[in-house]
Amino acid sequence: MTLKLSFMDHWRRRYREFAIIAQDPVLWMSLLFCAIFLFIFVFYPILRTASNGFFTSEGQFSLEHFARYFDSYFGPLYRRVFTNTLLMGGLAATVGTLVGFIFAYTVVRCNPPGKGLIHTLALVPTVSPPFAIALSTVLLFGRNGLITHRWLGMTFPQGSNDIYGMDGLVFVQTITFFSAAYLILRAMLERLDPSMEEAAESMGANRFHIFRTVTLPLLIPGLAGAFLLLFVESLADLGNPLFISGNVTVLATQIFLAVAGEYDYQKASTLSLVLLIPTLIVFLLQRYYVTRRSYVSVTGKPSGGHVVEKEPWIRWPFVVVTYLVCALIILLYLAIIYGSFCRTWGVDFSLTLEWWRLMLTRGIEAILDTTFLSLLATPFAVLIGMIIAFLVVRKQFSGKGALDFVSNLGGAVPGTILGIGFVLAFSTPPMIVVVLLYVVLALFLGCTLFHEKRQQLIVLLLGSAVGIGLSFLDDILGLTGLYDLLGGAVVAAGLYLWLKLGQARGRIWVGIGAYLLAYNLVEFVAMPIATLSRSLPRGFWSNAIFQLADHIKVLFQLPPTLMTIVLIFAGVLLIQPEKGRVRLLLATFILAVTAALSFTAMPLTLVGTPFIILMAYAVRSLPASVRSGVAALQQIDPAIEEASNSLGADTQYTFRKITLPLILPALLAGMIFSFTRHMTSVSAIIFLVSARWRIVTAAIMSEWEQGGISIAAAYSTTIILFVLIAIGGLYFVTNRMLRSREYGVRDVSPSIE
Amino acid sequence: MDLILDAITKTFPPRGGNAEVTAVDTISLEIAEGELVTLLGPSGCGKTTTLRLIAGFEFPTAGRILLDGEEINTRPPHKRDMAMVFQSYAIFPHLNVFENIAYGLNVRRMPKAQIEERVARVMALVRLSGYEKRAPNQLSGGQQQRVALARALVMEPKVLLMDEPLSNLDAKLREQMRTEIRHIQQSLGITSVYVTHDQIEAMTLSDRVVVMNSGRIEQVGSPVEVYRRPQTRFVADFIGRANFVAGTVCGRENGMLVVDVFGQPLKLAGQEPHPVGAAVTLIVRPEMIQVRTEGGTYRGIVRRAAYLGDAIDYDIEVAGQLLTTSETNPLQTEVYAEGTSVGVSFYEACVHVLGSA
Repeated sequence: MTLKLSFMDHWRRRYREFAIIAQDPVLWMSLLFCAIFLFIFVFYPILRTASNGFFTSEGQFSLEHFARYFDSYFGPLYRRVFTNTLLMGGLAATVGTLVGFIFAYTVVRCNPPGKGLIHTLALVPTVSPPFAIALSTVLLFGRNGLITHRWLGMTFPQGSNDIYGMDGLVFVQTITFFSAAYLILRAMLERLDPSMEEAAESMGANRFHIFRTVTLPLLIPGLAGAFLLLFVESLADLGNPLFISGNVTVLATQIFLAVAGEYDYQKASTLSLVLLIPTLIVFLLQRYYVTRRSYVSVTGKPSGGHVVEKEPWIRWPFVVVTYLVCALIILLYLAIIYGSFCRTWGVDFSLTLEWWRLMLTRGIEAILDTTFLSLLATPFAVLIGMIIAFLVVRKQFSGKGALDFVSNLGGAVPGTILGIGFVLAFSTPPMIVVVLLYVVLALFLGCTLFHEKRQQLIVLLLGSAVGIGLSFLDDILGLTGLYDLLGGAVVAAGLYLWLKLGQARGRIWVGIGAYLLAYNLVEFVAMPIATLSRSLPRGFWSNAIFQLADHIKVLFQLPPTLMTIVLIFAGVLLIQPEKGRVRLLLATFILAVTAALSFTAMPLTLVGTPFIILMAYAVRSLPASVRSGVAALQQIDPAIEEASNSLGADTQYTFRKITLPLILPALLAGMIFSFTRHMTSVSAIIFLVSARWRIVTAAIMSEWEQGGISIAAAYSTTIILFVLIAIGGLYFVTNRMLRSREYGVRDVSPSIE
Repeated sequence: MDLILDAITKTFPPRGGNAEVTAVDTISLEIAEGELVTLLGPSGCGKTTTLRLIAGFEFPTAGRILLDGEEINTRPPHKRDMAMVFQSYAIFPHLNVFENIAYGLNVRRMPKAQIEERVARVMALVRLSGYEKRAPNQLSGGQQQRVALARALVMEPKVLLMDEPLSNLDAKLREQMRTEIRHIQQSLGITSVYVTHDQIEAMTLSDRVVVMNSGRIEQVGSPVEVYRRPQTRFVADFIGRANFVAGTVCGRENGMLVVDVFGQPLKLAGQEPHPVGAAVTLIVRPEMIQVRTEGGTYRGIVRRAAYLGDAIDYDIEVAGQLLTTSETNPLQTEVYAEGTSVGVSFYEACVHVLGSA
């Protein structure tokens, strides 16, 4: 009895929490929007990948590919791939953590000359495309490498030990991923209270003894965290293994080949699940174990006095190793730049602009598409990230943990898994999701605007019926005709409200209707531009202008399903002030339009559209935005927001006028970090590119596969350049902003954990 | 514009292995228009939670909050027409003084001229005129506190809520601001709820003091009432200093209670009619005890003496119990040495008798 009572209490409490949030429609909407986004674009695709391995392409249950791990024909190969993967992860994580530790110790404790430069160089690998290091390693140490072949005169007959293979792979991944370990351990060393070591010293312990008994145990959580992170990054890495692992196959490449070579999604999904399991375990370990066992982060701010390593026999080895790795990094990046200007690598090392010219004509399309989509996804991802951070830090509701978890999940799982999930989820209409989305939106509209059961029923039934009826018109009118019809209707309703009833809100309705109409009207802008580009001689300008036409269209041709979300949210806000019959009428009308758009044509078949790439970008960069938002919000006294509330401002006004200005530096940092992540992402979008929407990282891979290593180098240089420009811009802006204002969140360095 | 708390309870759900916490336990309170009520109590007694419930930052688990007869239990803070002054001031760091004070009026979309007029008026009231363009970090603590107060006052709220607004100021400034707040509150006649753990603040500011302890109200009364006639031991102990002296009621005479204390009958006027034979506790404030060389109701031995300047404090052992006394008569300049035998008597008119329930 008591058990039952407390159970009821539990649910009543949960219900009350949401009832309280629902009092503020904008807050409720933000929560709903984030939940919808995370469900459709993170949870559902990952679920699809995870479950698809159990079903054949005909939809029959099958364990065929799992069984292959145990049979005698495929078994040895499958198992070897699996052990290779773990070996690669283990080695790369060990060496990477070691190098990261050496860098961190040098920077924090050894006071080396050129500390700033070391720090910058350590971070360079994080802002370059993930296989840039593989590329330059091949350029320098490959069979025709500048150092191995040209300077040392080595030749590599068949079967000899060249750079391709596990050793090369671990080398490349170490350089690519050690930055993360460096950042984690540096933060930890800085926060390590030197008095603890001094205390040990005063008790007569020698340096090594102190290190072994005091320093190292305190760093264990950091070392473990760094190791686990690197392990996962290494496992998820696709670019490097694809090009440098030679005969050694790892899971990421096996998955890639299953899709790209065999078009066998069941096999790919099976292998993805195998890859997902260790990744998830590590992710959970990191999230719930390592972060809680940290003794050091508790002490908070870096303490004033740092101990500087005095013993030269400890100091110099650290400094020298750090300098050597720095020199290697410089060398590797110079090799990429040189490679892009080199006539025929390995044979003719003379300089040429040929590759850049080729890239700027043939490749301008990919460069512009990538930059455009990366930029477009950036504010979107950061905004969602900030909202999630705000909800997580400031609000109390059930499912908060899940929201936080899923928002991190999209960035934590290997990109290939997400990419495959996107293909599986959005190549045919995911009707469950579409219906679910419509139901949620309709209920949201009904329950927010009306409190009487009768009114709710009228709106929901009538709106849905009319809307679904309208969606059949699609056969006659086509999608474009339907858009014209619905857009026209919204414009008409808006005009009526504006001109007849004299409401200023009518203008916003007209705006929304116009946006619907723009779906078709934009062609009239895009067409002439496309025609213009065709009239130009084929080359840079022709390609660039042609892309412009496509980019304009993206802005106005939102897929109908995504449009419905915008419509309902805008509708609820606009209808809120209305009363009586107008309220009822408008709600029914907007629901009808939503229903018509929801079930028209092939809802949510995003494969091949730019939106799938946009969403993949956003999902991948979301965790970083959330983290920087959370960190920033935790530094702001909640009383400041409460003060705004108590002065009559609702959550939305408070967020705009108080919270946002205060977390602006974090917001900008999040933006730059997201942009970087978008520009350099490979694994998540490799399966999502289409003939119409090309992505530089994918272009690099295909060029390289076809032997165009120099043009690949040119592309890579371009990406690095773009990212550096963006980062430079950030520091310029934030420095100016922080100098003029003496408040707010100061730490804007994008933390990588 | 009265505010009624009707048996409100607030429990926080269990978190991280901790049990469920009842921060506020069935509290009932009526606050009349124009009244300043202080919630006084030790930290963790639920006073801040009560204030946050009134403000709408938390919602009660049970009970009702009524404003002008209307239930506002789950009405969000921005719709309550209350304004709060925070302990940390919570001044918007990116806005200057004028913008801070005008914030709430801008939310209301008041015309610009009117905003300027009202802000100027309230800035004069808190004596900040001329500081309009200052950034918050260019202000001293006292000035920041006044910005926070002005920002709330300018709203002309139905209820003004203050959460330990003076606790971050130094002693001198606190005293000055205390008088200022009381003066402003009186002249504007704003219904106010003031949270503090400082009894002097509570005594000097309030029309009524609400003494709270572990989520419950111990006593509601005027400053004089809670000091002179505490209803529980806790109140007597928390407000001021008190000696608790055990006694037995041995009779009644002309409406006076006769209580046997340390074997001597004391006649005490104006007490509740405790039954004869009942064990009672006398609350004797240190300044209600007279210490003289000769005479006195009781004889005692000085165990500790401390000269404080404005008073002389003694611990005097009487019949095995240590009594703390405070001699405030300026003519009494002699300090008795420790070990001296002295005469001790109570100012019987001031002693308060508490039943031992």
